[in-house]
Amino acid sequence: MSTTDLITVDNLVEVYADGTKAVDGISFKVRDGEFFGFLGPNGAGKSTTIKILTTLLRKTSGTVTIAGYDLEKHPKEIRKLIGVQSQDTAVDPELTGRENMMLQGELQQMHGKVLGERVDHLLEVVGLKDAADKRAGRYSGGMKKRLDLACTLVHEPKVLFLDEPTTGLDPQSRNTMWDYMESLNEKQGITIFLTTQYLEEADRLCDRLCIVDNGKIVAEGSPVGLKQEIGADAITITMESSAGATKEATKVAAKQVLSTLPAVVNTIDAEDGLTIYAKNGGIFIPELIRAFDKANIRLVSINVSTPSLDDVFLKHTGKRIRAEELVKQPSRAGFGRR
Amino acid sequence: MTLLWDTRNLFIRALKKLTRNPILIFFSLFQPIIFLVLFTQLFHDFNLLPGFPPGVSYLQFAAAGILLQNAFSSALQSGTSIVDDLNSGFLQKMLVTQVARPAILLGRLLTDACRVTVQSIIILALAFALGFRIESGIPGFLLIIFIIAFFGFAWSGISLAIGMRTRSTETVFGIGFTLSFPLLFMSTALVPVSFMPTWMQDVSSVNPITYAVNAVRDLSLPGYFSLSAELTALGVIAGIAVVTMGATLYLFRKVVS
Repeated sequence: MSTTDLITVDNLVEVYADGTKAVDGISFKVRDGEFFGFLGPNGAGKSTTIKILTTLLRKTSGTVTIAGYDLEKHPKEIRKLIGVQSQDTAVDPELTGRENMMLQGELQQMHGKVLGERVDHLLEVVGLKDAADKRAGRYSGGMKKRLDLACTLVHEPKVLFLDEPTTGLDPQSRNTMWDYMESLNEKQGITIFLTTQYLEEADRLCDRLCIVDNGKIVAEGSPVGLKQEIGADAITITMESSAGATKEATKVAAKQVLSTLPAVVNTIDAEDGLTIYAKNGGIFIPELIRAFDKANIRLVSINVSTPSLDDVFLKHTGKRIRAEELVKQPSRAGFGRR
Repeated sequence: MTLLWDTRNLFIRALKKLTRNPILIFFSLFQPIIFLVLFTQLFHDFNLLPGFPPGVSYLQFAAAGILLQNAFSSALQSGTSIVDDLNSGFLQKMLVTQVARPAILLGRLLTDACRVTVQSIIILALAFALGFRIESGIPGFLLIIFIIAFFGFAWSGISLAIGMRTRSTETVFGIGFTLSFPLLFMSTALVPVSFMPTWMQDVSSVNPITYAVNAVRDLSLPGYFSLSAELTALGVIAGIAVVTMGATLYLFRKVVS
């Protein structure tokens, strides 16, 4: 990843005709080669921002440049550089997969053999080679998304804008999409701007992300950095009671030991042990083990859970993204938030 | 150059869609065929009435009207295609490419002109089987097809504009239906102008359908051809085309920006 800024957005505002402020003065930069994300609930202003950045919607105020081109003055140059996958899977159901891609390529001013070879290659990459000559209307949801993604890649864009690319996909198709996106970013160096309401998607894919709510950026950083901002990991321990001592006495002894450790922020009684909030859990664990060894308290289990982006969202907005997500995707329970 | 190429590609796309979903060609043919088969029987003896062109069968007279009626209602459905593209997100997908913007409309309009041409040939073939003849021969036939396609092309713009404005297929159909019948009956499509009450004659004389119908009819009846009537009709259609294209482009700009 280079240090050049590929996208700069300064004080962007979008007010709809009815007075709604969909985007309320946001500023951010995306570096060349970065996997950048907007994480937020429905209605946060994510899609509106993408529409403005991809020349589909005129901004109310603010400045945007992409690869040095001003959005308002050079939309044509920008369209050459970008590929956009919108929230709706916009493939023509009456055309075959290949025809969809060929049309997209023609509209991107590619022709003849060059286009044909590029399309063949991409169909293979997204695993649609065998289905290439079937009508897209007969594809599964995951196949349509992959075709849509392949369409955005025909003209070898420098930046990809993906607006909730995995919404509505089953876990398996979602994983496949994640693999493609990662590989595009890592192997081909394509800068990706992703919007999502899925915590684990942002967490897994993004180098850096903005958490957005009500048209504003409420937090910005790497997923790890943002979670660390929470300040503490939750470490749950259980102990073996030493000979003659009760469970309670062991807990008291353990608390005493913990109070000598500077990393500990807080200790709470858990069901059959203790939950410790400590900074940098990974570094803290060896410290914890050594101290307990010294005090002759035997640990049975240690369970570290790092704060999730949901905790970050909660901290900055006072609400959770997750609630809505669970309603929308009930099958996703246990899909590895931590 | 880009504009021509993009128009060609989008024209091909729409043609492919049309041939894979040919019901769209035949859907609107139902009504003209009913007119052609039943109306001409029902009003068979109209030609006995005073004011009717002497020696002309009702079929020979009404075919022009039925052709234009089909072109009109078919054209007024063309907006449904852009509604589909708007709502599916396909239009947006096109707009983020380097496509020449007007090509999106032109490709559409050319396809609709093609559709009307195919429909008109089907209607003409059926009319021919029933005894209809074009007195001016092959050149007349070609000119008739051209006038009808141009007429359809001109009105398609209105439908596209309605489609872009309302984003609703139902509204496009509804408005098309509401417009086509009154305008049809207040034109010379089905009866000679002398059959109408005076006020309707006035409406008919400013009704663009009348001009197109007369131009086509003059080519099919013996001894009616007049160059000035043909040119007037083409002028009127061109005028409509300018107005509807203007409205369509204006609304399209709003959608695009």
